[in-house]
Amino acid sequence: MDESYTSLPTSHLLGSVPAVISEEKKTTDSAEARLQIFPPNNGGEKGRGYQSIGSSNDGEEQQATNNWKGVFNISSYIQYFNVDTDIVLDRIKYSLYPINGDFFRKIDANPDLYGLIWISTTLVFVIAALGNCATYLMDRHTDKKTTWSFDVNYVNVAAVAVYGYALLVPTAFSFMLQYLGSNSSLVRFWCMWGYSLFIFILSSFLLVIPVEFLRWLIILIAGSASSCFVALNMRSYIEGTDLTMVAVASFILQFALSLFIKIWFFP
Amino acid sequence: MSHGDTVPLHPSSQSDIDEIENLINISAHSSVLPAKPQSPPRASIPISSSPFISSNIPQPSYQPQQQQQQSKPKPQSQSLPVPPVLPISNISPNSNGMSGFGSPVNTLTEPVWDTVKRDLSRIVSNLKLVVFPNPNREDPGKALRDWDLWGPFFFIVFLGLVLSWSASVKKSEVFAVAFALLAAGAIILTLNVLLLGGHIIFFQSLSLLGYCLFPLDVGALICMLKDNVILKVVVVCVTLAWSSWSAYPFMSSAVNPRRKALALYPVLLMYVSVGFLIIAID
Repeated sequence: MDESYTSLPTSHLLGSVPAVISEEKKTTDSAEARLQIFPPNNGGEKGRGYQSIGSSNDGEEQQATNNWKGVFNISSYIQYFNVDTDIVLDRIKYSLYPINGDFFRKIDANPDLYGLIWISTTLVFVIAALGNCATYLMDRHTDKKTTWSFDVNYVNVAAVAVYGYALLVPTAFSFMLQYLGSNSSLVRFWCMWGYSLFIFILSSFLLVIPVEFLRWLIILIAGSASSCFVALNMRSYIEGTDLTMVAVASFILQFALSLFIKIWFFP
Repeated sequence: MSHGDTVPLHPSSQSDIDEIENLINISAHSSVLPAKPQSPPRASIPISSSPFISSNIPQPSYQPQQQQQQSKPKPQSQSLPVPPVLPISNISPNSNGMSGFGSPVNTLTEPVWDTVKRDLSRIVSNLKLVVFPNPNREDPGKALRDWDLWGPFFFIVFLGLVLSWSASVKKSEVFAVAFALLAAGAIILTLNVLLLGGHIIFFQSLSLLGYCLFPLDVGALICMLKDNVILKVVVVCVTLAWSSWSAYPFMSSAVNPRRKALALYPVLLMYVSVGFLIIAID
């Protein structure tokens, strides 16, 4: 029946539409029934970024490898944002306890990049804004005559420092671990480092208090809590191998970040 | 033949226009002509059919040539491609101003003030839909059917300018930070909703986030004119709440209800940071 349509004399006209697209959907339906492909698709679809295909995959097949449709296609990143509000809040609360070292086990099935992006963005804003307040209060403390001035450069420095740290350090660790032989998952590293920055947001609110001793105390507590969180998690990730230097290095780097935040933004 | 145009035509084009009009009139002489003689009649022109089918169009073209006193040396090659080009367009013949020769170029030849007025009225109507209370708020899909990007562009640039004027030092950096924050922020917020599995149209969302900046624009203007810290804090809080209230239904309905807070928190963050910039710029 299909052939007779194409043999009509009008099929070669301008703008004529081919009569029937041969549908293979029926056979692929049973194989991919779990993937919930929205009609009308003829098998593989490309570039339809609005379809939440990733959300139906969890628990049924390997999530990490199957949905990559290219760097510039949104639907290949949807799998990393497959979290609900309560999951994110739960992970944030978990990041405040530096002693348990099993954050990786918690996020193993479903690492998310939502935490990394929005916690670091919030941190940029908070330290830029509160850093200005803190600088003003500290100057007022020493010299009663200073007036409020908003230094917009704080935003730039905060953005470079926080985004640079949050993106580059996990990448460096991931590559180093791969170079040294053991496997590593970059997404999980990003996720863990992202959540480790949350404690700095809370401590920034306390760092506005213009008492020098108190500021140092607060940043020491927050810095060591965050660094312990990172180091213990790294140690549990690489256990079995002889790479404790990695955990120590991560501790030192996180502590250096906390000192930088204190010295530059809350002098 | 006079068209009623006020633009004087080149003498050689007058003959071409005459030929083509004769062509139209002859081939459509059986149909009902519209009241205004300038626009060609619409669906009745048989030239809409495919050129591969042999039609009788080339034949009538010989007749005007014999009738015309000034016949061009190559009218055949001109007249054959020309009839299919005249589209059956939908530009109404009652457009103000000149209709021109072909009906699809009406908006191109209208006065500039008409174009500007049309865009301005669309901006105002979109603003009323988004920012002010109206009965359509429950259905966010209706919110910005007729979205445009001029309104958001004006609001973002205006906010950047007001902040830059308010600043006493580093004016250009302030403008750059404000503009980058708002423009990149709108894009990132839209991407955030898409990544969380929500369903929105990219440009409609950009448009909506831009329109929701209108209250903050008003607040920034008031803060620039009156430089009192308490007043600034109050004004910014009020306008911040207003902006968030106007963006809330659109954003929250675009995602799964269990992820609503994840989609709304970045909107709040962006508006709070802009509000802080308004307060803090001295």
